[in-house]
Amino acid sequence: MDLDTDVQMEDAVELDTSLEEEEVNSTGDYSFNQPFQTKEGPPPELSSQNINQLDEWIEHLSKCQPLSEENVRRLCKMAIDVLQFEENVQPVNVPVTICGDVHGQFHDLMELFKIGGPCPDTNYLFMGDYVDRGYYSVETVSYLVAMKVRYPNRITILRGNHESRQITQVYGFYDECLRKYGSANVWKLFTDLFDYFPITALVDNKIFCLHGGLSPLIETIDQVRELNRIQEVPHEGPMCDLLWSDPDDRGGWGISPRGAGFTFGQDISEQFNHTNGLSLIARAHQLVMEGYSWSHQESVVTIFSAPNYCYRCGNQAAIMEVDEQHSRQFLQYDPSVRPGEPTVTRKTPDYFL
Amino acid sequence: MAQESSDDIYPLALLMDELKHDDVANRVSAMQKLDTIALALGPERTRDELIPFLNEAAQDDEEEVYATLAEQLGDFVPFVGGSEYATILLPVLEILASTDEPIVSEKAVGSLNKVAQEFSIDQIKNSFLPLIENLSDANWFSRKVAACGLFESIITRVNDDIRYDLLNIYLKLTQDETPMVRRPAASHLPKIINLLNNSKDVKVNEKDWEILSECFQNLSNDNQDSVKLLSIDILIEISKYFHDRKDNSHNQELLKSSLKLIQDNSWRVRYMAADRFTSIAINFEDDQNNIDELIEPFSKLLIDNEGEVRKAIAKQLPGFGKLISKDVLLEKIIPQVEELSNDPSEFVRSSLASEITGLTPLLPKEVVIKNLLPIFLTMLKDEYPEVKLNIISKLKIVNEVIGIDLLAQSLLPAISELAKDKQWRVRLAIIEYIPLLAEQLGVSFFDEELGDLVLSWLWDSVYSIREAAVNNLEQLAKIFGSKWADEEIISRILKSDSNSLNNFVYRITSLFTLTRLIPVVDESIIIEKILPFIESLVSDHVANIRFNVAKSYLVISKTLLHKDESSKLSKKEQSEAIKFINEKIIPKIEILKKDNDTDVRYFANQSLNGINSLLESTEN
Repeated sequence: MDLDTDVQMEDAVELDTSLEEEEVNSTGDYSFNQPFQTKEGPPPELSSQNINQLDEWIEHLSKCQPLSEENVRRLCKMAIDVLQFEENVQPVNVPVTICGDVHGQFHDLMELFKIGGPCPDTNYLFMGDYVDRGYYSVETVSYLVAMKVRYPNRITILRGNHESRQITQVYGFYDECLRKYGSANVWKLFTDLFDYFPITALVDNKIFCLHGGLSPLIETIDQVRELNRIQEVPHEGPMCDLLWSDPDDRGGWGISPRGAGFTFGQDISEQFNHTNGLSLIARAHQLVMEGYSWSHQESVVTIFSAPNYCYRCGNQAAIMEVDEQHSRQFLQYDPSVRPGEPTVTRKTPDYFL
Repeated sequence: MAQESSDDIYPLALLMDELKHDDVANRVSAMQKLDTIALALGPERTRDELIPFLNEAAQDDEEEVYATLAEQLGDFVPFVGGSEYATILLPVLEILASTDEPIVSEKAVGSLNKVAQEFSIDQIKNSFLPLIENLSDANWFSRKVAACGLFESIITRVNDDIRYDLLNIYLKLTQDETPMVRRPAASHLPKIINLLNNSKDVKVNEKDWEILSECFQNLSNDNQDSVKLLSIDILIEISKYFHDRKDNSHNQELLKSSLKLIQDNSWRVRYMAADRFTSIAINFEDDQNNIDELIEPFSKLLIDNEGEVRKAIAKQLPGFGKLISKDVLLEKIIPQVEELSNDPSEFVRSSLASEITGLTPLLPKEVVIKNLLPIFLTMLKDEYPEVKLNIISKLKIVNEVIGIDLLAQSLLPAISELAKDKQWRVRLAIIEYIPLLAEQLGVSFFDEELGDLVLSWLWDSVYSIREAAVNNLEQLAKIFGSKWADEEIISRILKSDSNSLNNFVYRITSLFTLTRLIPVVDESIIIEKILPFIESLVSDHVANIRFNVAKSYLVISKTLLHKDESSKLSKKEQSEAIKFINEKIIPKIEILKKDNDTDVRYFANQSLNGINSLLESTEN
C-alpha cells in the first residue's frame, strides 16, 4: 500500500507541473475573456478557437472514430482545466437526465441520446463507468469528455470504480488503448484525467448521485466535500466506498462480496437521507435487468444504461429524467440497431476451416 | 533513383535487416515497401538479386508477412522489366500459393492471375500451363486448391486444344479424393463458365461441354453437402449459357438436375436452392412447361421443415411470381403465403414481410384487396417489431396498386394502433409515413382521422419521436398551408394549460415546433402568435430554453428578410423588416447576451452575429 501511495503522489506532482505550464498558456489564450481564476471560482471561458476545435472533435467522435493521440493529449489538458474547478459534491440543477454505466458501448450511448435528447438541449448527469468491457471505451470516454469540456454546465460526468488505473488494466480499456494507439500513452492520459472527475453530485439539494453507495465513514455530505479526491481510487476508505458500495436487503453495514466498499441496508439509507435532507440516492454500479431498480422503499434507485451488457446479458437499459418539479420519469431502451449487421439465425458451418 | 553510386547495395541490405526484426509489424511494413526497393534497384538488379532473395525468404515467416509479399508481387511486372521478364515471378508466387495458410494462398493466387494477364501466348504455354499442371498433380491438397483458382485468367485466351487439356485437368480436380479440393473446384467453376459464355473469341464445342457437364455431374452428386450446395451456382451458369443462346435442347436435363437439387435431403442444399430459386427458374422462362414443373417444388420449399429454408424462399416470392401465371399464383401460392405469415419463426415472418408487398403489382387490384391486404394487416399486428417495420417500409408499392384511399381506410385502424406501439422505432416508421398519407387524403379526411394523433406524438416520452413529430408537422404545414398550420397546430399549442407549461420538455418541444413552422407560415402569424410565445421564454428559468430562444430569433430574422426565398422584398418592406428586427428582436438578444449562463451567452452571440450579417447583406 505504501508503495502504491508513493506512485500516486508522483503522478499527482507530475500533473501539477504540467498544469502550471498550461495555466500560463491559458492566461494568454483567454486574455479576452475573464481574468485568471482560482480553482474555487468558475472555470475560464473557452476561446472561440477552442470551441471550434471541440465542435470538430465532437463531430468526428460521433461517428465512432477515435481522436489522434495528440488531440487526446490536448483534450485531456482542457478537461483538467474544467474538472479541477468542480467540487467533490458537484451541484447540478433540474431539469436533468441521470444515467448509469455505459462501459464502452458507444452505439448504445448514441441510442441513449436518441431517447433522452441531444446534449446540450438536454442536461445530463452520468454516474461513472464509461470504459471497460465494451469494444469502444476510447471513443465513448473521448466523446463524453469532449462534451464535458464544450458544455461544462450541461453535462456532469462522475467517476466510477472503472475510472481507475488498476481496474482498466484488467477489464479492457488498457488493452483497447494499446490496440488502437500502439502504446499506453492514451491510457495514461485518460487515467490521469480520471483523478479529477468529481465523485458525487447533488441534484437541486435533493438527489444525491454517485457511482457506488454509502460509506460507514461518511455521515454527512459535508464530509464528502472534505475528501482529497485527486488521486487513484484507493483500496479502502470513504472515497473507495462511494465508488464501490451496494445497497442490500439486510440492514446495517455488511462486507461486500466485491472485496471493496460495503453493503448498506435500508436503515442506513434512510438515516443518511434524513440527516442530509435528501429525497433520494441515485447510483449505478450494478446490472439490473429492467435498466432501473428501486431499493430500500424508494430511498435508493439503481440506474444502468448499458443495454444487453457485454453484448450478451439481455438486459434493458434506462435513464431517469428529473423535471423542475422533481417528478421522475424512467425511459427504458434496448440495444441500438446497427446498420449492416444482418440477423443471423443459423450459420452454415464451414466444416473444414 | 538508385543511380547515385555503383556500390549502392543499401536497399537490399536494408530490407534484409528489417526482415530480421523481432516485431511482425516491422517485417510486414518492410514488405509493404518492396516496390520502393525494387524501384531503387532497377529492373536488372531486381531480377538478379531481389527475386532470388525473395525465393529464399519466402520459406519461414508469419502469414501476415507472406500475405503482404504475395499481394505486392501482383504489381511487380513493371519492376522486373516488363512482361517479357514476368515469368521470373512465378517460382516465388508458386511457393506462396502452395502454403496451407488460406490468406497467403489466396493473395498469391490473385497475384498469379494478375501477372498472367501480362503473359504472351507463348509464356502461357511454356510457363503458366506447366505451373497449373504441376500444382494440380501435387500430393498435398493446398497446391491443388491453389490450382483451382488459376484457370480463370487464361481459359479464354488459349486455343481449343489447350482449353480441352485445361478442362480435363479441372475435371480431375472435381474428382479429387478430398473435399478440401472439390470445394474450391466447385466454387471457381461458375466463374469459368461465365467467362466462356461472355468471351467473343471462344467457341465452346461439344467436347468441352462433355467435360463441363461431367464436372457438374460429379459435384452435384458429391457425398458432401458442402460441395453439393456449390453446384447450384454451376447449374445456374450452365443454364444461363444456353438461355443466352436461345438453345432449349438441354432444358430437360437441366430441369432434371435442378429438381434434384431443390429436393435434396440436406437442408443446406435446399437452402441454397431456395436462396437462388428465381435465378434458377429465370433460365427456363422461354418454356412455360418447364416453369410449371418448378411450381410444385417451390410450394414444397414454402412448407419446408427447416426455418432457414422457408426464410430464403419467402424472399423469392415476387421474383418467381413474375414467371408463373396469375391463376397459379392466386390459387396455389397465395394460400401458402397466408400460412407463412403465421409461421412460428419470427425470422421467416420478417423475411416474408420484407418482400411480400412485391406481389401486389403482379395481381389485379381486386385480388390484392381481397387476398393480400388481410395478410398485410395481420402482419402489421405481429408481435415482432421487425415484421411490422418491414411491411410499413414497403407500403408504397401497395399504394401504387390499390390507391391511397383504400389503403388508408384499411390501414387507419392499424395506424392508430401502431402509433402507440411500445417499440419507438415502429412509431417512428409510422410517423415518417404520415406526410405521404396526408398528401393523398386531403385536409378534411386527414383532420378527422389523424389530427389528434399527429399532435400527440409531440408529447411522446422518447426524444426521437418528438423530433420526428416536429418534422412531420412542418411537412404537413407545407402540404395544407399556413391557415391550417395556424388553426390545427399553432393555436392548439398556444392554448396549452399552465400546468403543461411547467414542464421543461413541454416548453422546449413547443419552442422547437413553432420555430420549425416559422419558414412555412404567413408573416402575420409569426408576428402575432409565434413571436410573443418566444418572447415569453426569454426569461425562462431553464438555460436550455433560453439558448434555444436565441437560436429561434435568428430563424425569425432570416424569414422576415426573405433570405431563403426567391421572392424579393420591396425596398419599403425591406426597411420595415429591418426596423422590426432592430426594435423587437435585437434588444431581446442583448438581454440574452448578458445572461449568467455561458451557453446562453454563446448562442446569443452566434445569433446576433448571424442577424448582423443578414442585415448588412440586405442593406447593401
